[in-house]
Amino acid sequence: MVAVDIIFAPIFLSALVYFLTRGAQHIAKYVALGWFIVLFIISLNWLAQIMHPEHYAFAPEVLAYIKSTGFLPLGEFLSVPAFGFSLTLQIDALSVAMLLLTSALLILVVFTSWEEKNQAAYFSLLILFSGPIFGVFMTTNVLWFFMFWELTLVPMLFLVGYWGAEGVEVKKVFNIEIKLPSRVYAAIKFFLYTHVFAMFMFIGFFLLFKQTGYWDFTLIKEASLATPALIWWLMFLGFAAKLPVFPFHTWLPDAHVQAPSSISVLLAGVLLKMGAYGLIRFTVELMPATTARFAMWMVILGLATTFFAGFLAIYEKHIKKMVAYSSISHMGLVVVAIATMSYDGLSAALYEMIGHALVISPLFLIAGWLHHKTHTWYMDEMGGIMKYAPYASTIFIIAGMAALGLPGTMGFIGELTIIISAVKSFGWWIAVIALSGMISAGYIIWSVRRAIHGEPSEIVKKANFHMSFAEKFALAIFTIFIIYFGVNPQPIFDIANKAFSFFGGM
Amino acid sequence: MSFIILIAAGLIVPIFYRNNIFIAKMIALIAFIVAAYFIYQGDSLNSIFPYFVLDRATMLMEFALLATLAAVSLSLTGFERPLIAQMLFLAGVSLGLLETNNFFLYVVLFEVVAIISYILVANIRNFFNAEGAIKAFIAGAVASGIILLGFALFSLTSDSFNYAHMNVSGKFTLIAVAIMLAGIFYKLTVVPMHGWAADAYSQVNHAAAAILSGVIKSVVLVATFKAFYKFMIAYPLATVLIFSFFAILTMTLANFMALFQKRISKILAYSSIAHSGYALIPFAAAASVYSYAGVLYYAIAYIFMQTSVFLILNDFRREAGVKYLQDIKGMGKRAPLHSLFFTLQIFSLAGIPLLAGFLAKAVAFYAGVDAGLWPIVLIAALNSALAVAYYAWIIKHLYFDEPKTNSTIKMSAGSLIGQLILLAGTIYFGIVAANVINSTITF
Repeated sequence: MVAVDIIFAPIFLSALVYFLTRGAQHIAKYVALGWFIVLFIISLNWLAQIMHPEHYAFAPEVLAYIKSTGFLPLGEFLSVPAFGFSLTLQIDALSVAMLLLTSALLILVVFTSWEEKNQAAYFSLLILFSGPIFGVFMTTNVLWFFMFWELTLVPMLFLVGYWGAEGVEVKKVFNIEIKLPSRVYAAIKFFLYTHVFAMFMFIGFFLLFKQTGYWDFTLIKEASLATPALIWWLMFLGFAAKLPVFPFHTWLPDAHVQAPSSISVLLAGVLLKMGAYGLIRFTVELMPATTARFAMWMVILGLATTFFAGFLAIYEKHIKKMVAYSSISHMGLVVVAIATMSYDGLSAALYEMIGHALVISPLFLIAGWLHHKTHTWYMDEMGGIMKYAPYASTIFIIAGMAALGLPGTMGFIGELTIIISAVKSFGWWIAVIALSGMISAGYIIWSVRRAIHGEPSEIVKKANFHMSFAEKFALAIFTIFIIYFGVNPQPIFDIANKAFSFFGGM
Repeated sequence: MSFIILIAAGLIVPIFYRNNIFIAKMIALIAFIVAAYFIYQGDSLNSIFPYFVLDRATMLMEFALLATLAAVSLSLTGFERPLIAQMLFLAGVSLGLLETNNFFLYVVLFEVVAIISYILVANIRNFFNAEGAIKAFIAGAVASGIILLGFALFSLTSDSFNYAHMNVSGKFTLIAVAIMLAGIFYKLTVVPMHGWAADAYSQVNHAAAAILSGVIKSVVLVATFKAFYKFMIAYPLATVLIFSFFAILTMTLANFMALFQKRISKILAYSSIAHSGYALIPFAAAASVYSYAGVLYYAIAYIFMQTSVFLILNDFRREAGVKYLQDIKGMGKRAPLHSLFFTLQIFSLAGIPLLAGFLAKAVAFYAGVDAGLWPIVLIAALNSALAVAYYAWIIKHLYFDEPKTNSTIKMSAGSLIGQLILLAGTIYFGIVAANVINSTITF
């Protein structure tokens, strides 16, 4: 019962928080923090149950079900027998890994937005966001998956559109000039873009049900599909726009740059992972034969994404856009890893997904923080920040080194495992992917050179680099995770072992 | 029984107009509740006349209709009191239209609803708004003529008008049905027969527009599907061609027109026209078992959300003189309650999950996929996704812009209760799909 509550309770909780804390704004963040910690503890508990089901007092048939399918059943709700439709909640190791990542990031985001304006509304929207995002990873019903997927957009629309950066954008639509704040432009573009592409996925899910008679993806068998290629491409488009894969990535730099840094963390850390999660679930697990047919397409698109975004990142002078492109570039690697369709590749993909979330988040946070303090986005106008803000600069460098794949950080293990698994599956030529590490070395080191080191500019000299304790704490946690899992990656690969055991496991 | 109560209440209510609008509202409310009770007991027109059948699906639609009309009557002000009696009459006739199983009665009751809608569009604010009313009246009269022509052709070949026993294989049936549909498309505001709707919906009193665009359209939608079901099964190819062509034309054109409007009432009017397009998808997919579920779900969802947005617009217009899109700038701060309801219902219109608009679209579109029309459904889905552009644009004005003045707008108690009823409908049918689907799947 707790499972369905943690999906739907946030709707009521967020309304309650908003109306109760409007008078005393500072209380809202404690409620949000408490709720996210509860979510984290529940997810940890589920992780323990999935990793070692035999230690818990399950009924024998439930235990057998967990052992045979890997899914922990959490109940069925709101069922419509005539439509074969119900809110089925089941989680396996992959979903639990995503749930843990989500709740951990949500907790850290509370710290990083400790001094945000208009807190009652901000944190109630964050609480509202936690419901559907948990739903996405918990349900096995494809239509409910789609519903939660869409629902995550609504709080994000408001969070980006209201709390985003300053600036004005002038756009021409059919010769009508529209002038609007760029954060609103970015928010609406993000909403429209992912919403429109989700519609392809929506039709794909409908065709799945039409051709198999099941809404539940654990029951849908590829064997009974009449048009698997069509369905595969429809679903792939939806996930590709979310990931984002090369031709569909244009919403991301806008949204991530205009969003407040904490929300960029959620966008990069959680929303992009929804795309990767969907890709693993609905292509590799659901339609392995069709995926094998189109795997080369995925590899090509993934490589294109990695290199295209990487070169754009080198070219970029805007510090947050540089980070956003580097984020796209890393997600391209995840697509390549997923396309290998092997146990090694998927484990590497899961590791890189978590690594990407933990590495890119401090970069976004510091980029946003630098803008907040210096009021400039451009790295050429910064310089010498190390002298004035050594703590933030150090963490920027550590996270940057992780992004370019320095041994001892999460980035290294992620890229290495991806390269090895890709070479195993596709042959030696795929080793060109290693060049992506070189490209990221290019933009990271150059940006460190321009922004962090060098002579302080006038802007930097005038700025007041004060960082609150909550922000420092959150950044420290990120750094500890980056190094801990970089040195000891085994916990994540244990989860991957459980999640992808259907490919053999180790 | 419920029919008699509603008509009687409609006759009594005008007596109280002069001294106390509150009593008139209460009488209307009680009439709606009592009528709903009798419908629940299975005691509607079917217990008096043989040509009416009350099944579970019809019952559900009638509850949605009565709840919506009750919500509208609660949120009216003294200035709009003529609407109360008109709504009671409309409710009575709509029950008949929904319950009938006789094609002749369908045509007659359809005309009665049309006459009530002419009276509704007469609720204009000033002389300059008469354009919409005149257009609606003339277009409606033309439509009536066309329907009668088609019906006359059809009656040449059929000796029974019972839905189940109609002769649908006559020489002129297909052409007769096509002619009748041309007339009915006027009422359903299908492009290219939509010209009157954008003016009428945006120029009449918004409470009357809520009834016109929300209630009447939904009722006509369900009744038309029931009446034409046998034809649609008999002529599958013609059905698919006619309905999918008009569906795509309607939604695409209306969505583009909505993007370019500056008056907020016109945006909502065009959005309403676009929704007729989505609702035609299950008509095209009549061969699927889910087609009736799709139509019914769409009508139920639509009746709640469309009525609600126009009622809130009515409040905005009355309290703050809102006419253009820029007039609602910053309403999120000035009128938080109105804006909250408005936003939720707009999201429902846009098809955001957990609100009725999404499940309605999902079921209606699934009917299309089930009948093998997935390319058409894909176009419809993309249309509905692109429609978010203007819905998000409205929300941008509500929340992301600064208000021009700081005067706040309070919501009256009646309006609040009315909106809560409508929102309850939107959320209930957005989460619980079982009722509608279970009631129709045996159709």
